[in-house]
Amino acid sequence: MTAETLDSRRRGIFESFLDSKFYRRLSRNFIYRYVIYPVGQMLLFVALAAAVLTLVAYGIAILFPEPRPNIVLADQISKQLPGMIISGVSIGFVYAMIALGYTLVYGVLKFINFAHSELFMLGAVASFFFLSVLNTAGLLTDVHPVLLIIVMVLLSGAFTGLIGVLVERIAYKPLRGAPRLVPLITAIGVSFVLIDLTRIFAAVTINDFNLTLPTREIPALAAPVPFQFGSTTVNVRVSSIIIVVAAVIMLLFLNYFVNGTRSGRAIRAISQDATTAGLMGINVNLMISLTFLIGGAFGGFAGSLYSLNVGTINPYIGFFPGLKAFTAAVLGGIGNVTGALLGGLFIGMTESFLNGTLVYFPALGQRYTDVFTFGVLIAVLIFRPQGLLGERVDEKV
Amino acid sequence: MTTLTALSPQPQPQGWREIIRRPGPALALLIAYIAFTTMALFGLDRTALWYPLMQIIFVPMFMFAPFLVVSAPIKTIYKVILGGVLLLLLMPLLGIYNPSWLGLAIQICVFTGLALGLNIVVGFAGLLDLGYVAFFAVGAYAWGSLTSPAGTIFTVNGWSVSPGAFYVFLIIGAAAAALVGILLGLPVLRLRGDYLAIVTLGFGEMIRVLARNADAPINFTNGAQGLHGIASPPVPGFVISFTASIGNTLGFRMENPNAVAQQLSFYVIGIIIIALIVIICRRLIDSPIGRAWTAIREDEVAALAMGVPLVKSKLMAFAMGAAFGGAIGVLYASKQTFIDPDSFQLLSSITILAMVIVGGIGSIKGVMVGAMLITLLNLSMLTNLSLQINSLKNADAVIPIVNFHFSDWPSELEPAKYGRLLFGLILVLMMIFRPAGLLPEKRRKLELTERREEVDEEPMIRDTPSGVPQERS
Amino acid sequence: MAPILEVKNLSKSFGGIRAVRDVSISIERGSMSSIIGPNGAGKTTLFNLLTGIYKADTGEILFDGKNLVGKRPDQVNAAGVARTFQNIRLFHNMSVLENVMVGAHSRLKVSLWRTLFHVGGFNEQEVAVREKALNLLKFVGLAGKGDELSRNLPYGDQRRVEIARALASDPKLILFDEPTAGMNPNETQDAIGLFRRVREELGVTVVLIEHDMRVVMNISEHIDVLDYGAKIAEGTPDEIRANPRVIEAYLGRRHSKVDESANPEVA
Repeated sequence: MTAETLDSRRRGIFESFLDSKFYRRLSRNFIYRYVIYPVGQMLLFVALAAAVLTLVAYGIAILFPEPRPNIVLADQISKQLPGMIISGVSIGFVYAMIALGYTLVYGVLKFINFAHSELFMLGAVASFFFLSVLNTAGLLTDVHPVLLIIVMVLLSGAFTGLIGVLVERIAYKPLRGAPRLVPLITAIGVSFVLIDLTRIFAAVTINDFNLTLPTREIPALAAPVPFQFGSTTVNVRVSSIIIVVAAVIMLLFLNYFVNGTRSGRAIRAISQDATTAGLMGINVNLMISLTFLIGGAFGGFAGSLYSLNVGTINPYIGFFPGLKAFTAAVLGGIGNVTGALLGGLFIGMTESFLNGTLVYFPALGQRYTDVFTFGVLIAVLIFRPQGLLGERVDEKV
Repeated sequence: MTTLTALSPQPQPQGWREIIRRPGPALALLIAYIAFTTMALFGLDRTALWYPLMQIIFVPMFMFAPFLVVSAPIKTIYKVILGGVLLLLLMPLLGIYNPSWLGLAIQICVFTGLALGLNIVVGFAGLLDLGYVAFFAVGAYAWGSLTSPAGTIFTVNGWSVSPGAFYVFLIIGAAAAALVGILLGLPVLRLRGDYLAIVTLGFGEMIRVLARNADAPINFTNGAQGLHGIASPPVPGFVISFTASIGNTLGFRMENPNAVAQQLSFYVIGIIIIALIVIICRRLIDSPIGRAWTAIREDEVAALAMGVPLVKSKLMAFAMGAAFGGAIGVLYASKQTFIDPDSFQLLSSITILAMVIVGGIGSIKGVMVGAMLITLLNLSMLTNLSLQINSLKNADAVIPIVNFHFSDWPSELEPAKYGRLLFGLILVLMMIFRPAGLLPEKRRKLELTERREEVDEEPMIRDTPSGVPQERS
Repeated sequence: MAPILEVKNLSKSFGGIRAVRDVSISIERGSMSSIIGPNGAGKTTLFNLLTGIYKADTGEILFDGKNLVGKRPDQVNAAGVARTFQNIRLFHNMSVLENVMVGAHSRLKVSLWRTLFHVGGFNEQEVAVREKALNLLKFVGLAGKGDELSRNLPYGDQRRVEIARALASDPKLILFDEPTAGMNPNETQDAIGLFRRVREELGVTVVLIEHDMRVVMNISEHIDVLDYGAKIAEGTPDEIRANPRVIEAYLGRRHSKVDESANPEVA
């Protein structure tokens, strides 16, 4: 979804098509540019990730036909495939949204915002408090569920966006230009502070830090939606559908913001060269804050949606999704917005496939899913550190 | 310019500051200080309402005395005598009087060792390792899984190791951790610094996940239940009788002289290990390896072009740091007699990092001060604060003016559980206001207070023979 | 005698830009030669290829008969090729002496065992390397400045430290990347003297990248000219001065001003 991918001057097999008058007119069309093209891209990525992982899964099934007596792995995979893909897509969009925060901030400041996973957590906690307040007021069932969720997600995102800006102003801004180690350590510190402040808040208000969302009070979220795939029926949770729909809508907005607005262009300019961007009259500080606002908001959206799905949260939930989303950002090519989406979907899908297949390996089991995902991170960093869509950068010596 | 301020001499002190800088008054003041804190500790009443608060005040005062001795402007011979008295006489005596203080002193040794080990990686070589506790875990599990009666693959097959092998295992633990460090380091040390940080962060957590799950199908770690009853090295008989006689002579009430003697021997082992580590750190930094590390920190490309092998040099730092972690892990497992995966959390890695940073990244003395400060905060002050709040609760105390009843204090709001907040704040504030730490190392101070003019892209070399990017600065 | 360095058909591209194309250069043992060319001609890229900082796409770099392509920079240094940088890259927060001592790294026996136990001649080696560094500082004219932080030295002296640091690895070939850039005429004269002494007193083969034509013509025995990544001429200073292709490369086809925009900077 970056400008490069929309650039009609690309080389490749589509060159003649991309150079045609038809495509040029099309590419200037708003609907095409900001709706059809990105949605197509998402569908392509989903299909790509699903196809690759299905192949891998069947490949493993060929290598280990019967990991347990009387269990044919290939049959199990065929049975679970639709379910794995759906849950993979839903968690993948969550990771993609978190990964966007890492990637946007990396783009402008060239620094990994470790504290970003805590913004995700804060989004989830904010949603909990929002729903709890409504619940105690007895309003939860009165509001239309769609409206409720929209307001909840937007409020959580706004809150975490503001926290993101605040953190940037207080903790990161004084450190611009400092050696790399310094802001990294600060970010770790911020992450810990946010975790414990949340816990203190929860301790003071409700004297418990395991927070269970009152989602049961919302009947619309309770019943799963059955989907028919050939002979198998897959019950899809409403929250999964909400996640996908909400994520797609918000990613479209982000795409429009980054590629279609002046501020988006300014942010892209800063990520190319902050000094020159500043000389060209861009208010770099303002744009950096804006980046944190948007990155933080997307972390919060993700947390909010995620909390609907898992039900019970605590101040410590940020770590693993954060690490996976970071993996996603690196896999896609850190600093690259499209890459974050692709990486997120791949990591989400990988995790869901691992969850589906590791069960059948008695020596391993699902508990090693995180270890495998982490293995992906190391493998990417070793073999393709610039990520799938990243570009190589050469140093002037 | 930072340079000028860093190198210009300290302003001459005046008035009372000048007086205490004279050797005579300094020595007298120091002896008075040591005597006062020691007597204060002996005089504490364990049943008093404010006992925890008194501990918060006097325990750190006593524990910091060795650093005052080292930095005081007195003759070396007095430093040696006073240091010896403090470490080898007063501390053991206080420890026999109140074993919890001895336990604290051992923990300080453990964390000082860890902080010095991490300092090699972060401070000397400039590699941010956020999963350092993993190496600590390797050492701890190496000793634990072989001596715990929990029935791991080793003990079930009757490979049980005699407790006397503890001293050999300090080295085996170090070697095992160094090996793990090299295995992890080989692929990831080529990465840029921030990637390395996050990979080590993840690695630290993965070790924990492995420790939690490696109980089936083959039981290596006994999973989430952890390993209990880990062996301690045998205590020579004379230490036990010595401890008991001291206790009797001074009239201390002692429930179990054996346990106290055991702790005492751990304390001595800890002091010896720390002394060794300090010597090793000194030798490392003052050698071609140390210079190579500094050069790499300053300018990786230039160092490389001057013939410094990057990966090899970094691996050395990683392996040395890991080895210290492993050896200390053996000591820790043996001292605690129980370890489980939760003993090795990300929080511990960050706590150790905070020690390095608070004290002064790269400075050996600074790191030791930082380790002591943070360990006291973590294990003594926060805990005592919790105890104080509890005892106030039990006494149904009320803060006058605002009329706050301590019984209303939320049970979840226990200071001991909020180490993260404290260490997080410490990290942030230190990085903003004093990035080089309380006792900065000169060179590190120059490096850390440098500001590049613009937020420029950190370029990387690519297409190097290894084909992977490397960080420039 | 066989040339000390033979570069054969060396090429390197970045993305679509061919920074160095099919360059062949031969450097005589014990000679003093220069590589010149307009901005963006690929001179520094060539040095980076020679020292292993970039990996060549194709071609060979034969140094003393050994192929250096695929070697890491530290291995190239150990083989006997040292360099300085266009934008001085000293270790700023290390002392001048320490900078030079780091330069000797590839000539030292470095092992944890020696370092931890001070065995195997560790102390002797430390004394020797300090002595060597002090001598080199004297050689470049910085005697007595060893304990200063290198960032505090004036610009010209920093260049000298860089030269001493490069010499500390006992190179057979030393590559100077624009060593007189930013110097005033007096400093330049001193530097020329130093380059000559490096060759004559230490017997090191010298290759310079230089912009200052007076320097180039003054001291080079042999000159190679690059333009747009390719070699367009070689020869003695007199031959180069008369070469129409060189004049064209520097002054443009119709002797007009050099069109900067047509010469994208390729570092």
